[in-house]
This record gives sequence, C-alpha cells and structure tokens, in this order.
Amino acid sequence: MSNATSHAAEGPGCAPIAFLPPRPDVLARRDEIMAALTELVSAGGVVRAPLALKPFETDAFVAYRQPPLAVVLPQTTAEVSAVLAYCHSARVPVVARGAGTSLSGGAIPQADAVVLGLSRMNRILEIDLENRTARVEAGVTNLSISEKVAAQGFFYAPDPSSQLACTIGGNIAMNSGGAHCLKYGVTTNNLLGVTLVLIDGTVVTLGGKHLDAGGYDLLGLVCGAEGQLGVVTEAVVRLIARPEGARPVLFGFDSSEEAGACVADIIAAGIIPVAIEFMDRPAIAICEAFAKAGYPLDVAALLIVEVEGAEAEMAAMLAEIVTIARRHGVRTVRESQSATEAALIWKGRKSAFGATGRIADYICMDGTVPLSQLPYVLKRTGEICAGFGLEVANVFHAGDGNMHPLILFNANDPAEAAKAEAAGNEILKLCVEAGGCLTGEHGVGLEKRDLMRFQYSEAELAQQMAVRAAFDPLWLLNPSKVFPLEGRPA
Amino acid sequence: MQTFFTPAQRADPALAESEAILRRCVHCGFCTATCPTYVTLGNELDSPRGRIYLIKDMLENDRPATAEVVTHLDRCLSCLACTTTCPSGVDYMHLIDHARMHVEKTYARPLPDRAIRALLARILPYPARFRLALSLARIGRPLAPLFERIAPLRPLAAMLRLAPKGRPAAAPSDVSAKPLASSAAGSKRAIPYGNSTPASLSAAGAEAAPPARRVAILRGCAQRVLDPGIDAAARRLLSRLGIALVDVPGEGCCGALVHHMGREEEALGFARRNVDLWTARIAAGGLDAILVTTSGCGTTLKDYGHMLKRDPAYAEKAARVSALARDITEYLAECDLPALPARGLTVAYHAACSLQHWQKVTLAPKRLLAAAGFSVREPAEGHLCCGSAGTYNILQPEISAALQARKVSNIEATRADLVCAGNIGCLTQIGAATSLPVVHTVELLDWAYGGPVPARLAASARFAAAE
Amino acid sequence: MTLPSMSSPSMISPAMILHAPRSEAEVVEIVRGALAGATPLALQGGGTRAGFGHAVAAEAGLSTSALSGILRYTPGEMVMTALAGTPLEEVEAALAGQGQRLAFEPADHRPAMGTQGVPTIGGVFAANVSGPRRIAGGAARDSLLGIRFVNGRGEALSAGGRVMKNVTGLDLVKLMAGSYGTLGLMTEVTFRVLPQPERVETLVFSGLEDQAAAELMAAAMALPADVSGAAHLPESVRGRFLAGALPEGAATLLRLEGHAASVAIRAETLTRALGARAPLQRLGPEQSESLWRAVRDIHPYAEDGTQRPLWRVSVAPMAGPGLVAALRMEAGVDAFYDWQGGLVWLRMEAEPEAALLRGLIAKAGGGHATLLRANPAARAAIPAFEPQPAPLAALAARVKASLDPHGLFNPGRMG
Repeated sequence: MSNATSHAAEGPGCAPIAFLPPRPDVLARRDEIMAALTELVSAGGVVRAPLALKPFETDAFVAYRQPPLAVVLPQTTAEVSAVLAYCHSARVPVVARGAGTSLSGGAIPQADAVVLGLSRMNRILEIDLENRTARVEAGVTNLSISEKVAAQGFFYAPDPSSQLACTIGGNIAMNSGGAHCLKYGVTTNNLLGVTLVLIDGTVVTLGGKHLDAGGYDLLGLVCGAEGQLGVVTEAVVRLIARPEGARPVLFGFDSSEEAGACVADIIAAGIIPVAIEFMDRPAIAICEAFAKAGYPLDVAALLIVEVEGAEAEMAAMLAEIVTIARRHGVRTVRESQSATEAALIWKGRKSAFGATGRIADYICMDGTVPLSQLPYVLKRTGEICAGFGLEVANVFHAGDGNMHPLILFNANDPAEAAKAEAAGNEILKLCVEAGGCLTGEHGVGLEKRDLMRFQYSEAELAQQMAVRAAFDPLWLLNPSKVFPLEGRPA
Repeated sequence: MQTFFTPAQRADPALAESEAILRRCVHCGFCTATCPTYVTLGNELDSPRGRIYLIKDMLENDRPATAEVVTHLDRCLSCLACTTTCPSGVDYMHLIDHARMHVEKTYARPLPDRAIRALLARILPYPARFRLALSLARIGRPLAPLFERIAPLRPLAAMLRLAPKGRPAAAPSDVSAKPLASSAAGSKRAIPYGNSTPASLSAAGAEAAPPARRVAILRGCAQRVLDPGIDAAARRLLSRLGIALVDVPGEGCCGALVHHMGREEEALGFARRNVDLWTARIAAGGLDAILVTTSGCGTTLKDYGHMLKRDPAYAEKAARVSALARDITEYLAECDLPALPARGLTVAYHAACSLQHWQKVTLAPKRLLAAAGFSVREPAEGHLCCGSAGTYNILQPEISAALQARKVSNIEATRADLVCAGNIGCLTQIGAATSLPVVHTVELLDWAYGGPVPARLAASARFAAAE
Repeated sequence: MTLPSMSSPSMISPAMILHAPRSEAEVVEIVRGALAGATPLALQGGGTRAGFGHAVAAEAGLSTSALSGILRYTPGEMVMTALAGTPLEEVEAALAGQGQRLAFEPADHRPAMGTQGVPTIGGVFAANVSGPRRIAGGAARDSLLGIRFVNGRGEALSAGGRVMKNVTGLDLVKLMAGSYGTLGLMTEVTFRVLPQPERVETLVFSGLEDQAAAELMAAAMALPADVSGAAHLPESVRGRFLAGALPEGAATLLRLEGHAASVAIRAETLTRALGARAPLQRLGPEQSESLWRAVRDIHPYAEDGTQRPLWRVSVAPMAGPGLVAALRMEAGVDAFYDWQGGLVWLRMEAEPEAALLRGLIAKAGGGHATLLRANPAARAAIPAFEPQPAPLAALAARVKASLDPHGLFNPGRMG
C-alpha cells in the first residue's frame, strides 16, 4: 500500500485529501456483497440504491464526500459479528458510523467500503445505580444516558457539544471530551467496559462494572482508536451523582489576552471550576443569534466559568474567581439566575458550530496547547487567518487548552475553500509547535491524517500502525483514516 | 454546505430559495436526535439530515423523484422538531414543501396510494363529505382487520380505526358570532371565582361596554366535524372577555391537508379563497386577529404569506392575513386572564408539533393552564410527535402507531388526571390510545373561567365532582 | 552504563548484569545490544513492585535508576514531566512545594510485598498504581498524559503529549500504563497533577455488617457530596488502623476533600442522609491522612514473614460483600474493602484457593483477582493475573508482539 496513488475526493472545490484507491475487485463484487449482507441482518437493514447511499457520503466534516459501496444497519451484536466476519472473509473495508457527527470525517466512507451504521442499536440495556453504571448499546446518544438517570440525581459526565445527537459508540471511537472534562475527564476516564467485535467477527468483552482492567489496558487503547481496532457494540459507562447545583457565570473582557491571563490565574490559584469556556467577539455574536442567552455583545472576549456544588460552596468559589477576574480588568460579570438561564448559556455555547452555519460555512480546528501558550496561539491564529483573507471565530475549552478556531469561508467558492483548509493546517502546525497536539477531542479522521507527521516521527507512526495491525492485520477497518497513506505497511 | 446549482437553476425563485436553505445546513446532525422517524427507525435516510441530502441531490440534478426517495420523504411527519433543534436555522419546512411539490410533479405513485391520497384530498377538507364519510366508516369498521392484512390497503384500515366510535355531536347550533355574554351569564357557572369577580370578566358581562376587539375564528374543516365543542368553548370564553366574534361565511379548509401531500395548486386554491374572504372582512370593518384553535391549521395560515408570495395578486393580502393569524392560546395569553386558585387537577400538556416547533408557541398554553388553576405536567420526550401529523396516521400507519404508543406511555407516566393539547389531530390520535380523557386547552380554560365542563370530562364522576 | 546488580529486587538474581543507562540514547543502545544477542531484559524501576506478576526469565536487568530528575514542572498548567527513574518521593515533594499533588494517590507496595528500594514515578505508571481516590480521581493511567519509551526494536518513541486533551493517534499511553515493563521501557513520563485540597475529613460509621456498609457507601456515592474515598474495614482489621483508635466495631469510611466550606457542607449532607444508619464520628485532616494512607498501602496485610496469600480483587462495588461471604463458607479468609466495595483485599489463612475465588468472581458478575503474594510454589502454579478468554489472550499476545516482537522485555511477567 506504500505506493498507493491518490484518489481525489468527489465534487468540485474539494481540497485534495485523498481517499485510498478503491479495490476494483470489491467494486466488481458489489451485487454479490449486497446479497450476502442482506442475509445477515434483519429486514430493512441494507441500503443499496445508489441514490439512497448518497446521504451517507459524509458526516459533519462536510467538505469531503464519498458514497460507500453499501450501508448495513444491524440491530444486534450477533449481526455486527456476522457482517464483520463476512467482510473479513470477502476482504471488504468497513467504516463504522454512529450519528455521523464527526468533525474530522471519521465516518466518511470510501467507495469500496461497507458503512456499518450503529443507529439502530439504540437501547439502554441496564441502569445500575448502586454500582453507578449504565450498560448501553453503541447507538445510544450521549445525552440520553444522562436524561435516563436525571430523575435519580445522576449523569454521564463527558459532554461533547454534539451530545444531543452523537452516540456513545462514536464517543468511544473518538475519545470525546466536552466542556466539563476539566473536572470529570474525557470518555476514556468514564468508560468501564465495552463489547468489541473484532474484524474477523470475534466478540470480546473488555472491562465491565469493575474498575481494574485485566491484562493490558486494551479498553484504553480501543477508546480513541477511531474505529480501526474493532466495532464497539455495547459499553458500560460510569454514572456520577449530579452536584446539588451548577452555575455558569459570564465574564466579559475587553481583550482576549486579559481573558486568557484570567484563565491561567484561576487555574494557578488552585481553583478548578467544572468548565471554563472562551468565546471571542465573532463567536459571541453567532451563539447569541441562535440561543438568545444574554451573552454581552459589547466585549471582545467572554469566559463562561461554571462552578458547582451547594449554594454556599458555589458562592465561595465564585467570590474567589470574581476577585481574580477583577484583577484582569473584567468588564461584565453576570451570573445565571435560574436553571433555564443556565441551560440557555450552555445551549448557546454547545450550538456554536452549527449556529455558525447561519453566517458562513466553516471548518473547525481542534488543536490543544499548553495553557501558557493560549494567548500566543490565539494571536497567531488571528494573524494566520487574516493572512489568508479569512475570518475566524474562536470558541473553545480554555481550562484545558483545547482550541476550536472556526475558520469561516464560502464552500461554493473552491479557491476560498482551499484557503480555509490551508489556514487550518497552519493553525494545527502552530499548535504542535507550541507544545500541543493536532486534535484534542475531534479525532484525526480524514481531516488531519496527512498532518500526523507534524506530530509524530516515522518510527512513532510505524509503531502505532503495528499496534493497529495487531487488531486488523488486513487494514479493513476505516482504512482511509488516521495514518498517512504513504508509508503504510505493505 | 456546498451546493451545486447552475445559474439557470438559480434563476428559478423556488430553487433559489431552496438553495439558500441548503446553504445554511452544516450537516452537524443535531436534527437527527429529535426526529421521531430517525429515533424510531434508526436510518439516516429517515432523518431530516438524510432527507435534506436526498432533496438536495434531487433538486440539484433536476431528477424525477424515485420510489426510494419518495418512501423516505413520505415518512417525514413535518413535525419540524428539527427546526427547533437546528442551530443553523435551516428552514426545513419550506424545503420539504418544495420537495413534496417536486414529488407530486415528477413521480407517479402506485395506484392504491394515489387513490387513497385522492380520496383524502376529496373528503377531509369538506365538512359535509367528511361527516358522511365518518358515518360510512362506522359501518365499515368491521372491515379494518381485513384491510390490515393487505399492505396497500393498510391506510384504509387506519382510517376506519381513527373514525370516532360515537356520532359526532352536532355543533350546538354551530354557535355563531352572537356575543355570548348573556348565555354565559345564564349559566350556573357564570361566576366561578367566589366573591371576587375579576375585573376583565365582569366587564365582559356588561353588555353596554363596546367590544374593544374584533376577531374571527377559523372554522376550518375536519375539527368542526370531529369536535365542534372546541370552537364553541373558544367562542364562549372570548365572548365572556368582551371580544367581538366576527363571522366570515364561506371560509373553510386552510389547505394544510392537501399542502402536506404536495398538492400545491389545490392548497393555494384554499388559501386564496380564505385570503379573499378575510381581506373583504378586514376592509368591511377591521379584524384584530384571526384565531385558530387547530394549531396545524394555524401553522398554514401563518405561512399564507410565504405560500403566495410569488403571486402578485395575493402576496400582500396573504401576508396581511398571516400577520393576523394567532393561535387561540397565544391570543388569550395577552388577555390578562386572572389567576384562579388551584383546582386539584393535574393536566398532562401535550405540545402539538405545529404549536411548539413551527409557531414556537410554547409557554402560553402552559401558563394559561397554570393560571387557571390546573397543575401542569410535561411528559418526557415532549418534543416528539404523537404520530398524528395531518393524514400521516392514515398514510403511514406503522410509524404512526409506534409514535402513538411512545407518546401515550410518556403521557401516562406523568400520572396526570387528564390530557390536553391544542390540535385536533393530536387529540384524536392520543385519545384513541389512552383511557385518560383528552381535551382541548381552550375547553379547559373555558371551563375554568365559567363555561361548562368539557363534554369528554362530563361523563366522569370525578370531574363532575371537581366542579 | 552497566553495573553489577547491587540491590536485589526479587526478580533479578545478584549474578545478573544490571544496566542502568543514564540517557535515552543509552537505553536504545542497550536494547539494540540485547536484540542482537537475543538476551531478554528484566526491566525495573525501584523494584518495589517487582513481585507483581510472574518471575521474569531474563539474563540481564535494565533499570531506570540513573534516569532521574524532574524535567519540567509548570504548576499553572498542572503538568509535570520527569524521567522515569525519578523517586516518587522527589516528585511528591516538588508538588507539595507548590500546593499540588498526584490525583491518583499511588499506593506504596513495600509493606505488603516485603520489598525494599525506592519507588519511582516510572514504576508507578508501569504498574498503573492507584489508591482509594480511584473512584473519583482515577488510576495512574488517568493522569498520564505522555511518555517517551524505547520499544523492543530499540526505537525511542514518544506517545501522548503534555496537554490534557489529546486524541491524536492511538492511545499508546494507556497501553503502556499497567503493562509492567513488558512492552517497552518508559524513560520519561508527563502527567497531570491537581491542587491539594484545603481540607480533608473522614466520616466514620461504626458497626455495620459488610452488606450494610456497601449499601451505605452506594447511598453516599449517589449523593451530591463528591466522596473521594469509600472504604469498609470489618472488625477483624479495624484495630490495625490509627493504632486502634477507631471506634468499636467495623468502620465504614467516607472521605471528603476540598475547600473547607465545601467539605463542611458536604459532611452535613452526608450526615443528614446517612447519620441514622450507624453511629458516626468525624476525623480531621491528620487522622484522615494517616487512615487513608493505611488503607492505600494495604496496611493490615503488611508482609509479616508468613507469605500468607494476598489477593487484590476488583469487582462491581455491590458484589464485594457477597463474594467475601461466599468465600468464607469455604476458606479461611480475612478481607477489607476499598473503592465503594469494588476493591477487595483478601488475605487467605492458608492456600490461595485460586480456582475457588475465580469461580466465585465469575458467579458474582465478573471482575478479576490478582495474586500479589504467596509462597513461591503457589506463585509458580497460579496465574497471578486473571486468565483471559482465548481470543483476548491471543489479541494481547499480538499487541505485545507489535511492540516487542522478539520478546525481549520481562518475558513471562504477565503470564
């Protein structure tokens, strides 16, 4: 595969991240493969008409598109196992798909691949409050777990912005984070076990309701592996008692630098709020337009700092935070006055990406940098985008350095689309140079695959690929993603 | 997202509008989570995002609709939960409307499907025909199980099952625009507030006071056959508030039923006729509002301006009519109804999709009910459609039944004493699957503010006692 | 640099060559040399956990002892990077100097394992050590952000980084944590740290039976009280803590940490909700520190020269008491519980009873038992780690081969 030639993505205006060239022998067997799959899943479980395959050609990384060979929608682990065993024996690539909300193209198919959609496996199998666990199928949405146990005072902590729609299977594939991981960690810290189907159809269980992993931490390895090691069909996740109260507070600043310095000081003071979110002026305007959350529109930078606990606890912590913010010249401080208001504040923040669609197309970066580098990287990000003649909106998790510059462009203008992508690449390189990484929570996917060499040496990539091959020696699982096409093992 | 339309296509205003809608979509997938069909079927193609994609491809390539595409578009309830969820502000409603017209123009439905749609389009919008059909349905009901077994005839079975078992009460003299102050005063429940009669209501009782406001109530079509008591309640309540009710003879179906089947010309026909009648009435002495007690119809009325915006003869008139259209609860919320003491009844408020997702009237009904002394409970998954959706429960009986069961189980889990909603379709759909009494919001409000106990509650000793 | 072995951790014989490289480059050189000579290496940090797993069949040792020192510590980012052989004590002292600490409260295994030596930060991660805060703060792997390591091909590699959120590529960091030196030698570790709490307090409920204690702990974890430790010390071990100062009867412990005001509020919350279940006493910071350190270090079962079998059992929290009760029907055993009941420390009176125990765990809904200590014959006969189903074992073997294709590192250690 090392001398793979590039197969350009479909559609005008798409910048050239290449898919693996489709295997002609697989394309030629399309009908045969369809017929076999139809036997393996329950009625309505195979999408075959070319027109009907089109909606599966992309996810939320919509700049790249490629309809798959077929889509199969199994309903049980046994069906998933049968489908994978067949694809393994027939040497057909498989791309697992949850809700298709990936911002890095993790669920984008390739022409010779079967998309294995987990959306019909959406049952919550067991809620065990005494052991504080939930056992769910992979297609269950992130938020529905929290909703299911809300009345009993529990929640599932990782909260990616797409939590309304994204599935737990997808969260595991990308090791999704969220706004509140400053306190509660990301998916891998809240995942206790999975049922994993290997490419040959073997079903293995990793972990369970107990905390220790037996043998190697394969659970930790599978989490974040972007569907390349196997297909997760069930998960056991940890539930946490919901704090008595939670209060987001809005802090408006006249400059991003002041806001950034305030964040650093809060952390340095030993205060760990559950979340510290940052928005710059364009992002504030975008989010306010959708959520009407009462964000101040006259400030250059906004922090949403959330504290939680009992009333007196929150008050004490907030007092300290306000003191620090005042030192940094905070202009407006506004506490949410009710649960409804708090919900609106978060709704605005969590809808930031989608709401951007009101004014422009965008690509969303996801680099993470050490906190001390935030102000510098923020400034350079603005300069890089300006250099390309593009606007950028910044909205991100400041407490953990996970940045999300939204580069605005017009997708119907191919030249501008290419510029946006180039600017994005520059920003990600900047993040790595600043001591950070390419992606904090969205995953490498297709989007950042060809940038992996900025972060890793050849030997490091080779090592990761060797581990990958221990699970999937034939490279059938989501093979166009994560690892640069050149330099792959033969 | 990126679109592929040619300059020639963009010259077509309808296509240009659809392109603008498509450009806003960023394919984030949030809409999938709150879409009833995606939640039920788990297939991207049965989600708003999937349908948007199918529509985009069909329109971009000017492709005739195929059976596959039509299947997935037909499954859309037009509940518009997706537009509530969508952060990008994608106007899905007008996109799917456009797509339905395209389907109607380019796709030949199989004969049974065509026949049933034609039948529905010929009957439902016409009260007399509908009344007759319901009588026949009562006779035909035993045939339902037979139709059930023959796939193309399943909609007929659904239709027969939906027909109310009892004969619909004739509208109490089709209560007209006569101010009802006197009849309300004659009722033994004219003064339900103990000793303190709220000012606004006592003013209503004073015949001498000149009516400050003049409103029309959309009489519509199916509702007046299925449950004439709803409008009667609205009329009583408004009259007691001193609001003059204006009759607009000849006004009828708003066009929604055929509109959602993609039968655009028929829909516009209904719309133009209503617009003409109301415009004349406006000219003849003013109209403060056109009130709608069936939120599905309200949605369409509010969209007349959009539907007719490319008809020079009607654009302006239609926009004026749309601007006057108000849901009954939206209007009542501005009438300063006095707060009443708690009456010890819990009401599960079912938010009709047309009200919450399209009209975005979400708080008014709940606040009114609470002010009227009812304890309001909101069922889980309140954003999900009950499966009624106009003619959906007839045309898509399986999905409709699944949603109906889910809705009813969520409603019953609230352990409320009764259910209320603001749309006749929901009332029928939910009523068919629960033993709880199901009434219209305005019936409860009328009752609370001095009207008679709603018919569906009157039968129960429990509610009679609650009086 | 190559020295004859001086200390004698249990797995390395005194006659063995012990390499103690001073740089990553030297590690690479040694590994390449071993590769050329096909001579397996026993990897070790301070050797205090050398008794974990099985005896290593190696001809030479490779120690991180000369790879010592804190490379970078930025308190404002709550991140530290240190060479793997840095003594844990040095790391903890540096953190304490800035009012910070490790989140995962690593156990000191010397008392229980009867080992000498100096625990290293690399060893802590290689064994994925954790402590009572596991239920709230995770294990070592949850704090580990990045590593540099040398694999079995003699390549020096890095994985992860120094930021808290990082999903770039496969998470080899998690894989290396807890791999007991069987996949590569970690030379450098970067980890997240946390502020020290202003106040620590412990609620001690007295006299509860195991099952009632498990129920109380579950109820506590269901409250918005941020309990950071939940342990149950049956009457048989209670006297071994705080020099016997705990009240009569079994002791069920709930630990609270954080701002003083917050701890007070949460203590009230717990007292209100659970106070009626058993007599309740509150312990302040000093006693709490000492008490939880003893829980962490398995103090009641510190090696007393008898080599009585010691098991570490991980099950669903509510399964702990039932498991112990069932085991007591058939064998002499003493037990206490950590992790809300999910970590059960078992000291057998005589034989390890591995088959019995593992059978009961399977019946109790799954989990696993790790044999930490027993006489040499038993250690040789019993798989120290929970045996894995064949497909999983095969997968693990392939993963091992992908990092250490020639089986150079700690052969036999993980069975």
